[in-house]
Parts: sequence; C-alpha cells; structure tokens
Amino acid sequence: MSDYIASLHKISKAYATGHGDFYALKDIDLEFREREFTGIVGPSGSGKTTLLNIIGSLDLPTAGEAKVMGLLTSQLNARQAAALRSRHIGFIFQTYNLLPVYSVYENVEFPLLLLKMKPEERKKAVLAALEWVGLLDKQKSRPAQLSGGQCQRVAIARAMVKKPVLVLADEPTANLDTENSLHILQTMQNLNTNLGTSFIFSTHDDKVIRFMKRIVRLIDGKVASDDYQAGV
Amino acid sequence: MIIRLAFRNIIGSGWRSLINVLILALVLIGLIWAEGMWFSWLNLAKTQQKQWEYAAGILRARSFDPLDTFSWEKGYAAIPEQAQKYIEAGSLIPVLFSPAVIYPGGRMQSAVVKGIPASQQILRIPSQGLNGQEEYLVPAIIGKAMARNTKLQVGDTFTARLKNSDDAYDALELQVAQIMNCPVPSLDIGTVWIDLDSLRKIKQLPEVATIMVMQSPGLARLANQDFRHIDEKEFFSDLNQMVKTKAAGQMMPFSMLIFLAMLAIFDTQALAIFKRRKEIGMLSALGMTKGQIIILFTTEGVLYMLFAALAALPLGFPLFYYFFAHGLALPPGYDSFGIAGFDEPLKFHYSIPLTLATVLFLVVLTAVVSWLPARRIARLKPTEALRGR
Repeated sequence: MSDYIASLHKISKAYATGHGDFYALKDIDLEFREREFTGIVGPSGSGKTTLLNIIGSLDLPTAGEAKVMGLLTSQLNARQAAALRSRHIGFIFQTYNLLPVYSVYENVEFPLLLLKMKPEERKKAVLAALEWVGLLDKQKSRPAQLSGGQCQRVAIARAMVKKPVLVLADEPTANLDTENSLHILQTMQNLNTNLGTSFIFSTHDDKVIRFMKRIVRLIDGKVASDDYQAGV
Repeated sequence: MIIRLAFRNIIGSGWRSLINVLILALVLIGLIWAEGMWFSWLNLAKTQQKQWEYAAGILRARSFDPLDTFSWEKGYAAIPEQAQKYIEAGSLIPVLFSPAVIYPGGRMQSAVVKGIPASQQILRIPSQGLNGQEEYLVPAIIGKAMARNTKLQVGDTFTARLKNSDDAYDALELQVAQIMNCPVPSLDIGTVWIDLDSLRKIKQLPEVATIMVMQSPGLARLANQDFRHIDEKEFFSDLNQMVKTKAAGQMMPFSMLIFLAMLAIFDTQALAIFKRRKEIGMLSALGMTKGQIIILFTTEGVLYMLFAALAALPLGFPLFYYFFAHGLALPPGYDSFGIAGFDEPLKFHYSIPLTLATVLFLVVLTAVVSWLPARRIARLKPTEALRGR
C-alpha cells in the first residue's frame, strides 16, 4: 500500500446531457494521508459530492485513476467495492440516512453485522462508539425520537464503529443549527485526534471550514486551491 | 441480519403490511378450505366405493370392457374351480352383469341387470332384500336415483327383457323389493339388482361371473387367463382424474385470488423500491452488496407470506372446524356429478402434507413475485439512489 489512503490522478467525471458532456470534475490530482482532517469546499455544483463518491468507490471516474487503500477503484467489481466500503470507509450523510425501524444501538451495530463480527466484540464496539458521541443513554431510542443533532451523532457513531481508516462526510452540518454543528465538528475532531481516523468533508459552511486542517477548494470541478490551515 | 432488518421493515410499515398479510391469509384460508373439500370428497368417495363396490379388490372377466357396452352381453367367464371354495365361504362374491331393456310403467328404458348372491356380506348392497321370491315375481333392488328416473316405488312390478346364452330374448318379471340409498352412482343409475341365481337361470349361464369381489387382497392370486385383477390404482384412476379435473375447475376463483394477492405484493415491493431508494443507497454505502439488498427486499415479501400463514391459523380455524364438525351439506341431485360420496354432509379433513405444500407453493410464488421488482436494484446506481433518484 502506498503512503496515501486515497490518491486521485487526473480524475475527470463527465455526465452526458442534451447539450454535450457536462464535467462535474476535471483533471483532479489529490492525495489524502492518514489522520488528515480535510474539507472539500466550494459552491453548489462544484463537484464536492462527486469527488466524495469517487473516493468512496460509490462512483467511477470517466477518466483518470482513483486509488483507495492502494486499490484502483476502476478495477474493483461491485462486490469488491462493497467490501472496501464495508471494511475501510465510513459515510456520514447530510440527511443522516439512519434506518428508521432500528434503534440507535441497532443502527450503530449494523456495519459490524456486515463485517460478521462476533456478538460480544460487536457489543463492546457499539457501546464505545455511542460513548464517543455521547449517546449511551439513547441507545434504545428510535431515530424519530431524536433531534437532528442527535441523529447526526448516531450517524457518526455508525461511521466510526468499525474504526475505518477514512470517513467521508457529505455536508454533515447542513441540516443542523450552529450549536449542534459545533458539537458535531468537535466530536469528529476528537475522533480524528484520538483514533487517527482521516476525515474528508464536503461543505460550503464557514463554521465547518474553520475546523479543517486542510482545505481543498473546488470551483467548476477543478481544484482552485489546496492549503493547510495553521493553528487548527 | 437480513431477516431481522426485513422483519423490522415489515413491522415498521404498519397498515400496509397488515393489509398485505390479511389478503394473503384470506387466500391461504380459501385454498386450505378448498383443498380440504376435495381431499375429503375424494377420500369419502373412495371409502364408499370400497364399501359398496370394490371391497379388497376385484377380479374382472377379461371379456368384459366397462367402456365398451357391446362387450357386456358376452362379458363374463367361467368361475375357476379354485375360486369355488372362497365363494362358498363367502369371501368372494360373483356378480353377473347383463344388458337389458326394462319397461317401468310401460315405458322402455335401457338398463343393466346385475346378479349378486343374496347372502353376500362383503358389500353394503342390501342384497338380503333379494330373498323371498314369490312365484314368478323376482325381487329387485334399485337405487334412489334409478327410482326417481323410472318413477318406480317399492312393490311396483316391471318387465326386464334380456338375452340368454343362445342370444334368444327372454323376460323376467321384477318387483321392487327395496330402494337403496346408495352413494355410488354407478351402482344406482341405470342398474337393477337381482339375485345371482335368478339371473343365471334366465341367462342359462351357470357358474359364470362378470366380476368377483374379494374380501381380502390375497385372493388376487385367483386371477387367471379369464379373470384379471383390478388393483386400487386402476380402479380409482377415473375417480382420481375426475376429482382432479373438477378441483382444477373449482380452483379458478382461487387462482384469481392468488393473482390479486401476488399483484398486491408486487405493487408493494415495486413501490418500496421506489420510495426507499435513499435507504438502498445508504445500505450500499455501508457495504451491502446489491445481491444482499435484493435478498433483503425478497425476504420482506416472503415474510409477508409467512406472517399470513401464521395469521391464517387463528383466522381460519373457526371455518375449518365448522366444516370438520358439521360438514358441507350438498344439494339433492348433486350426485349427477358422477362422484360417490354425497349421501351425507361431506365432513372436511385436512391433509397436513397438502396444506404444507400449499404454504410452500405460496411462499415460493411470493419470493418470485418479490424478487421480480427487486431485480431493479441491480440497475440502481448507489450515487443516484443516495440522492433519491
């Protein structure tokens, strides 16, 4: 495996439209190392989500090479891509995407069931993840009984429970108020520091950007800047 | 994991699930009820045919073809010598058939005169009523349907014209000694029962029989070049076929019900895939393969059916029990169907293997119907599913 957990080389993503191809991403060259806390920043339609989807092996580039955990995503079949996501990548979505019929505990447990982890190890991991996000007392609640901020913390716990190398978060604070957003970001920052998990966010929220160690700006599908923030 | 999630999804769907389960349960109840009826009907018909016609087996003259009426005139054979002792012991009953023309009330009608020993005790035919001949009047027994058709009553007399062994016509003067309530139409309709000796005498055919009814299966060894053993499989093949054909016809309404129930499942699944695309995308992002997601949706469909099977037990029990205890009373004249078993209410018995096979059939059908729309998941891109497209 290379030093990078994800590396993108000359990545382009085009969608066919009635007026020819539309490029969501064009000639992107980026590398992401372990323990990074990166924000993909840019206005709506700049290609942030598309970039996250390609890193998460949910989508394939139309040109270029994407390597995740040393694997070329274009060479993975659907099953291998699912295994890569299941083992190494956690996802956090803007709309939480929790299973409404499951309790908080069961939602967090779900990725471990996919990994066929033993019950006692699973329980330990789920309780630890709920402790990280401060929701131990809500483990029996259903998502419908929680606030937006609590739901997003459940989603973080679900993404973190398998201790992935990389967590991809697509606008994780977009549906939250300031207080909840800060709480969520602090939680993720702590996990990044304590567990060494790399986070890549897509966001256009200034509150989020302040927390990032590294900021990649996308404009019209191209990298406009790639900087590390001092003092974060 | 998949079963647990599917189970929770069904419970979480609330009323939609309940309606699906109820529809499937009703279909299942209907199918079990109908199968109970046909199963019981067939069993009762077989039991009664055994009691009235077949006993433990039949040896039939090879010259007699039940499907060829032209063969009936000469459809008999000499009783083998080794059979005589069984006839004398009462464990083998010789029966002679003769085509005849009868004249009830002056009208002419084709019939079969069957001679049976009055003393026989193997079959339920009340042949003891054939005893007590007065002068030239030969006692005869007819069935209820025959009495209805010929308008004959007990005590009425009528003439039967038949051919003797020399192909010369002769006549018998018959008197109705008894009208029997026989549930086997083939022994009733168009049939006149008289004492075997009387028939042999007029036919000038001593020591012959068309069939010999056995009291025990071991007597099948008496089959020879003149008499063929008719086993149960052959004897009941027509009945089995008839019940099968009638059951298939009666199953049409249930087939429609099954179709509608399956349509409901298909619709529910297709709608679920449309409504739950974000969930499909999320499951994919979490690392579920498309195959696993398809299995999840298919399992949900199968669980509907399994819940329906569980619900069918308490919901259907009163109905099943009523027909088990009180039976189904069939209207008069229903025997025109040509199947035995209608002289009393048909009490239902339910075959457990048949019921389990029905549930299994519906489970498989539901799995296929759930799988058909779920296949679309394979074409769904996770990124588009996550956006709800």
